[in-house]
Amino acid sequence: MATSLVRKTKLLSMVSSQLNSAACFRNIHCTAACLKNRAARIRVAKGDKPVTYEQAYHPHHIGHRKGWLSQHTSNLQGEDGAAERVVEDVFIRRFMYGTFHGCLADEVVIKRRGNLLLICAVMIQKLLPSKFYFLIGYTEELLSHFYKCPVKIEMQTVEEKVVYKYL
Amino acid sequence: MASSCSQALRHHVCKSSRILRVHLQKAWPNRSFVLNSAADQQPAVSSPVEEIVIPKKKTWSKEAVLQALASTVNRDPTASDYRFQDDPYLTPKTSSEFKLFSLSQESGRNAAKYFISTYPKYFQKDYAQPHIPCLMPETLEAQIEEVSEAALIERIQMRKVKAAVDLYDQLQQAGTPVSLDVTNQLLDLICFYGDCDPAQENVPEQRNEETEDVQDEPQTKKGRASKASDKLKAAWKENNNAERIFALLSEPNTHSYSALIRGMVKYGAYSKAFSTYTDLLNNQLKADVSTFNALITAAPEVKEKYNEKWELIVDLLKQMAEQKVKPNLLTLNAVLKALRRCGTVGKSQAFPVISEMRALSIDPSLASYNHLLSIFYKPGAPFQGQTDILQEVMNEVSGKSFTPQDPDDAQFFITAVRICLDTKDIEQAYRVHELLGVGENWRLLGNDFQQNIYHARFFSLLCMMENIDVVLKWYRDLVPSVYYPSSNVMRDLLQVLDTDNRLDLIPQIWKDLKQLGHGNRQTLVEELLTLMAREKQNQEVQETFAECALDIKKMYDTGDRGKVMMSWTAGSLSDLVSVLLAAQRRQDAWEILKLFKTHNRVPSEELLDKFLTCIKESGDVNQALELVQISAGFCLPGTPKLIQRVQQEFLLSEQQKSMLSDLEIQTFNSD
Repeated sequence: MATSLVRKTKLLSMVSSQLNSAACFRNIHCTAACLKNRAARIRVAKGDKPVTYEQAYHPHHIGHRKGWLSQHTSNLQGEDGAAERVVEDVFIRRFMYGTFHGCLADEVVIKRRGNLLLICAVMIQKLLPSKFYFLIGYTEELLSHFYKCPVKIEMQTVEEKVVYKYL
Repeated sequence: MASSCSQALRHHVCKSSRILRVHLQKAWPNRSFVLNSAADQQPAVSSPVEEIVIPKKKTWSKEAVLQALASTVNRDPTASDYRFQDDPYLTPKTSSEFKLFSLSQESGRNAAKYFISTYPKYFQKDYAQPHIPCLMPETLEAQIEEVSEAALIERIQMRKVKAAVDLYDQLQQAGTPVSLDVTNQLLDLICFYGDCDPAQENVPEQRNEETEDVQDEPQTKKGRASKASDKLKAAWKENNNAERIFALLSEPNTHSYSALIRGMVKYGAYSKAFSTYTDLLNNQLKADVSTFNALITAAPEVKEKYNEKWELIVDLLKQMAEQKVKPNLLTLNAVLKALRRCGTVGKSQAFPVISEMRALSIDPSLASYNHLLSIFYKPGAPFQGQTDILQEVMNEVSGKSFTPQDPDDAQFFITAVRICLDTKDIEQAYRVHELLGVGENWRLLGNDFQQNIYHARFFSLLCMMENIDVVLKWYRDLVPSVYYPSSNVMRDLLQVLDTDNRLDLIPQIWKDLKQLGHGNRQTLVEELLTLMAREKQNQEVQETFAECALDIKKMYDTGDRGKVMMSWTAGSLSDLVSVLLAAQRRQDAWEILKLFKTHNRVPSEELLDKFLTCIKESGDVNQALELVQISAGFCLPGTPKLIQRVQQEFLLSEQQKSMLSDLEIQTFNSD
């Protein structure tokens, strides 16, 4: 047994010496670099950039000064499906951003109750109410058929984007 | 459960021991120590312990908790309909906005359905456990392409009338025998849709008015008053596909005849229906109950006189008995509906029909009661002591929850409240409204249009009969969460305010009127102004009136694009001036007085008199002179009197006196 170990280590050192040659040293970076300390933070600038409450507080304030934007139970002990929920949330946020283009005053809050998917959005009063209702009916129907669960939208409107401070 | 039982037992035993102790103490006034303590310490053995009956375990449905929670919540009178978002910008405030918003939401849904059915491959992934069939994309095109019976069945199920008929013809030419069942289904399809394809709801460019009942639900937001005429637009054509295919059948059975007769009756070919029925009898076949229902519905159309109609119906019923066909609820409703067209015969025969049907254990539904009420209370006819029929019907119906069994069930509430309105019976109206709150009856109120009619009639009746407090209570309850009143109903409300001398509520009503979109209706606004100007109120009420009047003036001034412009009349201008004068707002009143000239209206003499009295209180001589000049400008016959008044009541300078005398001569000359 000792002899086989010695043989293995000899093999290993041979392989690693070959690898240590210059040709095998490049590392390829496939994705963009997403630094943790730059995520979801708007940096302080000249003082003319309006920023909402959600944007003003950084991610370490979640749970202390901010709430959660997506509420579901798959992060509890013994529950599964967290990754699928994240993908669904990303799709829903892009869908809302595109369908109600220019009308969203703040981030969309997504709540799941049973199998009901509740999308809570704050909109600017940019469109006529009848147009809002058209888009609401369209979104609810399309997303219900897409995710095979009832989807409801709860909407609140404000006159302008609510500015918390200027950075 | 066992613990609760034992607890109940313990509780019961303690109670009985307490009772025994009381009895003992009553019976033995000199209490002996021993007896007392014994009774205290041990539960009495000889007391009558009742049998504890443990009930059987109840099984609850899945929605039982939700239903129990829902029963604790009443309707919120400050919220709008559940369809809309809970936001002030997105809440409809007038009935036209209500219709617009609900229709736009529906059209958004239709747009989504169009995308889903056009690109079904993106919606195939099934996450739902258990499977939810209504959230899967619908296949609109028939899948089976070959010429076979299965393909025919598929097209029948997809309600494609023309495609099914074409396929049937192809099958006949190819020589494949089609079974009688499938042919009967095809006949059903053709006769139900009257030989035309039902309009598809998902295609956006198609109009909705021709859709049949089956596809009606998403489009019932529009007024359905023209429903009957819509259905009869398609008439039964001569030698159409149904008759042709029927003729090709070698041995038509009851079902085939039934489909054909019902189709003919539905699309207006009444005499043909009866001749087909005679064919059926000649072939020694029996008809089924739906055939008889259709024939009874058609009976009033083929005969002219009331007696003949009734005899035909009785004849049909007798044949039904001979062929041993049991009548059902729809038979009763068909007979009653036919009796509506039979005049006096209907009145005499209605009750016997109902009692006979009761004997056959067919209970009348709301539709039967609706037909009954329509037989006895014809709209526009005078009533001679028939008010007790409505009362009897309400006695029968109160407290019961009805399920929809007949399409005419939805007419009951509207008919009942119309009768209450015509007979001015507020008690019965309250009972009708109470019936709406029982169980599932709210579903039988009909679509939005019918609900509007119901609430309009109910509210008008309230305004006619009740005093202001009751009316206002109902007003706050119903408006605007359930009902958006029209301008006529608001005028009724103003009359109630007038009758009960609560004119101080007028500014509030004006605010509501503006919100409801009636702020630019000329007659309504003029009535408001007249009511405000009529009597002098106390100071604070007068102030509110003045504010309200200035607000009303704004409605006349700027016409926004698309809004109806109102024009001033002499009456409305004078009312406005009087209201402002009564609130001591002379400056504003002066501005309004100038408006007379701009709008070419002539003020009355009383108005100018009143104005002069007001000016006298402030003592502004110049304004008095200007007033006289205005009066002279309009060449009013009362100008000399005004001039005299000014000369007497005011201290005039020499210049002013000469001016006045000039004016006097002028008016004298023009007279």
